[in-house]
Amino acid sequence: MARETFERQLQAMVDQVLVLGSMVEQAVLDSLDALKRRDLKAARRIFEGDYVINEKRYAIESGCVTLIATQQPMARDVRFLAAILEIITELERIADYAKGICKITQIISEEAIDPVLIDELQQMSNLALDMLRRALDAFVAGDADTAREIPKEDSKVDKLYNQIYRNLMEQMTKDISTVDRANHIMWAAHNLERMGDRVTNICERIVYVATGEMRELDTT
Amino acid sequence: MTEEQRRVPLSIPLDIAQKNVDPLVSPDNKIEFRDYSFYYRKFKALGNISMQIPTNQITAIIGPSGCGKSTLLRSINRMNDLVPNVHTEGDIFLNGENIIGQGVDVVDVRRRVGMVFQRPNPFPKSIYDNVAYGPRLYGFNRHDGLDEIVYNALKQAALWDEVKDKLHQSAMALSGGQQQRLCISRALAVEPEVVLMDEPASALDPVATLKIEELMQTLKETYTIIIVTHNMQQAARVSDRTAFMMIDDPERRTGILVEYGSTAQIFTNPKNKQTEDYVTGRFG
Repeated sequence: MARETFERQLQAMVDQVLVLGSMVEQAVLDSLDALKRRDLKAARRIFEGDYVINEKRYAIESGCVTLIATQQPMARDVRFLAAILEIITELERIADYAKGICKITQIISEEAIDPVLIDELQQMSNLALDMLRRALDAFVAGDADTAREIPKEDSKVDKLYNQIYRNLMEQMTKDISTVDRANHIMWAAHNLERMGDRVTNICERIVYVATGEMRELDTT
Repeated sequence: MTEEQRRVPLSIPLDIAQKNVDPLVSPDNKIEFRDYSFYYRKFKALGNISMQIPTNQITAIIGPSGCGKSTLLRSINRMNDLVPNVHTEGDIFLNGENIIGQGVDVVDVRRRVGMVFQRPNPFPKSIYDNVAYGPRLYGFNRHDGLDEIVYNALKQAALWDEVKDKLHQSAMALSGGQQQRLCISRALAVEPEVVLMDEPASALDPVATLKIEELMQTLKETYTIIIVTHNMQQAARVSDRTAFMMIDDPERRTGILVEYGSTAQIFTNPKNKQTEDYVTGRFG
């Protein structure tokens, strides 16, 4: 009978973080899909739907604050709740990147984009989302070892970003009329690159919960 | 922060205090205080309390010593009647029925509103006889299923597994935590609707306290629970709603209800400065 009620409340928080995580993942998937298909309606819908994710984050934050105030968490429990406050902020920011991609889709509208670029953006998204899924699994399992490994994947995302950056710079240099569009695509790529950084921050918190150590993780 | 800055005035106008009493949305209230005041001779110990206590929830009453928490609690089962020269104003409703006044069957009120006290107070009898005491008063015997009543009450109080092999041994041989759960069993054996708990864990060690707190979460599915506690953290942990009381004035010393709301709200965003100062440990 060891604080069963509190244990249930903590588990409910984990469940809510996973719900938020899946909402964010879906937003990223949909935003890339809208960009690829140049689906302006879908882009607008995802852009406007971001508030649902924000509200979910606020609800979880409020739940955490209530548990901290009423349950006097100590040791791992207090680290866990503090980590959730950070993790949901990172998740919400990832959703903001998806929102940003949708805005870019609306700006670019129906202009053609090099399919190679689209493919590279998709690869970045796949890598970042894979990191996110694994990070959330590690969070549930309290797996610090996996959390330390995941950020190393970020270098692959960075590499793709650098590749896209170089290609776009080259394109802009050759044809000045592409500057506007290339700049927007670069922003989309930048958003995807930042997702990897956010997942790295999430991993740092998972390690913190498990070990009590708060330090930057190696991403190389 | 200096000691001087920490000090806050101990007086609060009643009309301001009552603005912070959050009316319940649900009409499903077990108990309602309506402008209830309590006097020891001329001394007004409780002033104009109005609040509603919801069914199947845990309501905590917190506040500094001497603010009337226990007096308020003991009003609900008319225990205060046992004190000489007391009188009341206003009403208390139990399931919509006024339990204040001359014509009320006080014995029936006390069956419907059980009570657990600060220190475990088992009778110097066997474990079985302690739990069976109340039902026997109401005429139950073994042919009427007394064994089943005792079993259910001990089971509900999460004590059965620990005592099933020694039901006829003295209750005085149990540990403090077990004795307190036995007292809870004894209260439950007469099938009350409400259980009042006056500092139920203050004489217990942390493990026994935890058991009582977890037990309360189970019991609230069946009973309405009201707990008075000096331990603010305990109130925060166990209750669904919290009432904060304090005295209105250092001279008059009448206990008033300052703020009443969900426990989450009281401990994260109290509306009243005195409540905030109390829950943050700045006075009291």
